[in-house]
Amino acid sequence: MLEVRDIHTYIGQFHVLEGVSLSVPKGSITALLGRNGAGKTTTLKTIMGITPPTQGEIVYDGQPIGGLPSFEIAQLGIGFVPEHRAIFRDLTVRENLRLAERNRGDFERKEDLIFNLFPDLKRLIRLRGTNLSGGQQQMLSVARALVPDNRLLLIDEPTEGLAPVIIEQLIEAIRQLSAETTVLLVEQNFLVAQTLAEYYVIVEEGQTVKHGMMADLAEDEETIHRYLGAA
Amino acid sequence: METTISKTTAERPTLAWLRQNRGTLAVLVVLLLLPFIIAIIDGQSISSVLANESGNSKFFQGLLIEIFILGLFALSYDLLLGITGLLSLGHAMFFAVGGYLTGILIKSFGWGLVPTIAAVTVAAIVQALLFAVVLPRVKGLTFALVTLGFASVFHIVVQSREAAPFTGADVGLQGVVIPAFLDPVDQRLRVYFIALLITMVVYFLYQRFVDSPTGRVCIAIRENEDRALMLGYNTFQYKVIVLLISSLTAAFAGMLHTIHQPIVSPNIAGLGYMVIALLIILIGGVGTLSGALIGAAVFRLLDFFIDRWFGEAATFLLGVIYVLLVLFVPFGIVGTWRQHSSQFTHQIEAIIERLRPKKENPE
Amino acid sequence: MEWLLENRTRLLTLGILIVLFLLAISGMPAEEWVITALRGLALGALTFLVAAGLSIIFGLMDVLNLAHGELFMLGAYMGWTIYVRPDTVIDGATPFLLIASLLVLVPLLTRWVRSLTLPDLVDKIWPWVGLAAGIGLLVFALFQYPLSTWDLENYAQSPISNAIAFETGTFQSPPPAEFEASPVLVIGGVIVGSGLLALAAAGFSARQTTLRQPSPTQMRNIAIVSGGLFALAFVVLAINNPLTEFMLGLGSTPRFFIAMALASVTGALLGWTIEVTMIRPLYDRPIYQIMLTLGLGFIILELVRAVWGRPEFQMPRPAVFAGTGEGCPATSIGDLVQYQCATIEVLGGRVRMYNEVFIIIVGLLVLGAVALLLQRTRLGMIIRAGVQDSEMVEALGINVRQVFSQVFALGVGLAALGGVLAGPSLGLSNGMGARVLLLALIALAVGGLTSFSGAAAGAVLIGLLQQFIIKYGQIGINVPFMAEPFKPSPPLVPASSVLLMVVILLILPQGLFGRKE
Repeated sequence: MLEVRDIHTYIGQFHVLEGVSLSVPKGSITALLGRNGAGKTTTLKTIMGITPPTQGEIVYDGQPIGGLPSFEIAQLGIGFVPEHRAIFRDLTVRENLRLAERNRGDFERKEDLIFNLFPDLKRLIRLRGTNLSGGQQQMLSVARALVPDNRLLLIDEPTEGLAPVIIEQLIEAIRQLSAETTVLLVEQNFLVAQTLAEYYVIVEEGQTVKHGMMADLAEDEETIHRYLGAA
Repeated sequence: METTISKTTAERPTLAWLRQNRGTLAVLVVLLLLPFIIAIIDGQSISSVLANESGNSKFFQGLLIEIFILGLFALSYDLLLGITGLLSLGHAMFFAVGGYLTGILIKSFGWGLVPTIAAVTVAAIVQALLFAVVLPRVKGLTFALVTLGFASVFHIVVQSREAAPFTGADVGLQGVVIPAFLDPVDQRLRVYFIALLITMVVYFLYQRFVDSPTGRVCIAIRENEDRALMLGYNTFQYKVIVLLISSLTAAFAGMLHTIHQPIVSPNIAGLGYMVIALLIILIGGVGTLSGALIGAAVFRLLDFFIDRWFGEAATFLLGVIYVLLVLFVPFGIVGTWRQHSSQFTHQIEAIIERLRPKKENPE
Repeated sequence: MEWLLENRTRLLTLGILIVLFLLAISGMPAEEWVITALRGLALGALTFLVAAGLSIIFGLMDVLNLAHGELFMLGAYMGWTIYVRPDTVIDGATPFLLIASLLVLVPLLTRWVRSLTLPDLVDKIWPWVGLAAGIGLLVFALFQYPLSTWDLENYAQSPISNAIAFETGTFQSPPPAEFEASPVLVIGGVIVGSGLLALAAAGFSARQTTLRQPSPTQMRNIAIVSGGLFALAFVVLAINNPLTEFMLGLGSTPRFFIAMALASVTGALLGWTIEVTMIRPLYDRPIYQIMLTLGLGFIILELVRAVWGRPEFQMPRPAVFAGTGEGCPATSIGDLVQYQCATIEVLGGRVRMYNEVFIIIVGLLVLGAVALLLQRTRLGMIIRAGVQDSEMVEALGINVRQVFSQVFALGVGLAALGGVLAGPSLGLSNGMGARVLLLALIALAVGGLTSFSGAAAGAVLIGLLQQFIIKYGQIGINVPFMAEPFKPSPPLVPASSVLLMVVILLILPQGLFGRKE
């Protein structure tokens, strides 16, 4: 589905990614793990075309997408759920969802699916983003990526700073939607990643250091300790 | 970088300094001799140059004095914008305060040169502190707007009817009697040497400053202020220092302007004059210091010749040149030259590397 | 309660402003403050037209367009030309359209140029040769092109005399200009010259490695637009004389509205061009964008000076707002409609219909239209979202760059509209752009840089403040410990608003109506 080969990215003068490679098999959930500042978020942004790579290859569905402008990458069917719940605070929930439409009527078609996953949003539909709680904002942020027909979702730290009850709800939602969509998930919380993902990739100082099956990683205490800190 | 340091430490420090600045020093020597060289080319005798008799030499001295003044002004702006990354739109005020204060104190209050210099120093410090007071409250573009606000108020007041007895309002400040030994017409050669000396000294001091630890922090602030803060630097303090240096330089450039020019026009307080400083550092290369001086020379000569050839359309053409520079030569003369020369040296190094006989066992 | 506490500085500042306003009002009789307030609102409306574009552009694109004031001025002069000298505009339209039709083709030509394989040296040199030849030929041909216009050197035919003659109804348009050289050669020269220019531009842009190919639909659209412009140029040329006669035969009122519309559209096109060709390449170098707009402002200023001259002149008011005869000043709506009065009586004072009523109405209409656009359309939704985070909007699959161009066009169009509107009341001068830019920047700063409603409120505040201080400049302010009342001279007035801005920014860096990030 997605194949990333040895990408390098600069932010300003800082060489943030120094060779990240990963592959996300179709229909799976792959977790991108690593310490703070290891380059996880930049990897997602680079795939998304927000911080274009200076080197390396990104192939999505057999098509190279490195260097394309961000909106064209999105139009190919990649949804992005950024960290810190970057929803639009000035827009209502409905407007937030409408904005994500790629074709007129996307929202109506997906309305039921979205409100099944996140029943709270239905009630809040007229509220402005700024008036939502953190958990509600995160749900909106995920829901927004579901409005168009995305085949790959890049989700950045969905559980960061949320209450356990809401994390449960989000895990459930991501599990459900992964039935039809491939997911690349950045997650600090190892337990969450372990519950959800089949595959894992670990990045450290802007480089891929390890990848494999999640089930194997769970038993490899040394790796967990070395790259992810105490988990 | 490291190789040059290790090489020079072996020599005596003065010698090393001379070696490092040989280009600039050569320019200095040429500029010192230039009035006489022009005279010789022109068939004028050296003694008549020393007696300040009119001629091409005297004319070019005047032009060069203007270049020095513009250079100082641009240098002070480069320190703010190019080195520290502080976008102020009120820089013309820094210059105009020096200019107007000198004129008013000498003309309306009959002050001598020394107390005037003291007063300009104080005024420069005060206006730098005024900008500094604002700094912690407003960032980025809001700072630019506030400084634009200060400068606009100053510009408006200088031009107003109420201030006319002192500033001459729209017409400009005229009839400032400069002390005889600095008379811009009778003693132009002396003024020329003084302006040259001040410019060179300021330039060397600026270079020292940028190379000093304080200067390095300023560059770090430009690159990424949050990072500099995270590293534990009190960025506010550094910005205040930069504002003070910049304000002092600009105010003294303004003072030289008043000494040299028969009329102090309110234009020097306007946004347009600040754009000239911007244009100069754009031509020379933002953040390069030497670019400010080279840019000033190019700008003034360009202005001079375009004006002579195109008359009315000159400002228009300068505007077009400015926009083209922004779009296509963003690093200016010095910046572009450095880029190319570093590429060039890389190429040379690569070639040398290839030619070097390969040793099987290093050491 | 929490809200009150959070906003206490803001509320306090607003309170002080309101008290000051009431104090100012209490110092003068009712009819005077009503008129002063109306003048303030009118000035506020003009400021708003500039500030609106400025704030949306800044909010969405982070570009502080310092050329916005000069674009306002350019709009005023363009409007004046369409209004007073439609013959000049119609004469100039043909070469303008021809040049535009060829320059539009640049993306197509770029594609074609890239497919060529030329020797290295030729490849390096030919665009420069094309550029020089194109500019030379174009300038040469344009000088031959017959244009009936004014003459800056000759007072009797200068814009000032034109304006006065128009106002007094004695304006005679000069005889239509005729081709002196062969029309085929001149027009051919324009076409070939601009063709070479377009080719050179294509040659330069083909060198960029990151260039993106236009899609087939885009290419088709470009071809259609180009062909349309080309055909239109000849249509205008063919009906030049009847069209000129028709325009000159129109009354001044319809002509004024045509001028407003045409100047806004031209402004919008100009804005679009500026964004695409000059602002767009600089998004990764933000400070350079400010520098660019500064330089652009100076170019426009010099252009206006070269074309329309330095002296100030008045734009004549359209007839519907100029009646002075019997029945005027109007005391009822009926009279107003019947006699088309220039002034109406309100509370015993005379209010000028154009300066103090019409401008405010247009300002309100624009305010409503833009607010609707922002709140009710998808474009507005994208703009509002983009103000917060344009990166994320793009990551949703929306071509934000395209929206940037549209917004820039909209902003410049509004500024040009404001310029035309200001012509009959403020007059046309080289300094009007800088003055209005200062006011708009203050309005923006006071209103919170990126907030559209804040810009509107700030503009009104600044307008009122200015007019009341001007009024008090006439009455005099009783300053304690001073024998005579202090009368600030009109040039000092802007300083007061600037001070207001500085004070407000220092107390509330995010402005009176802006939101803290």
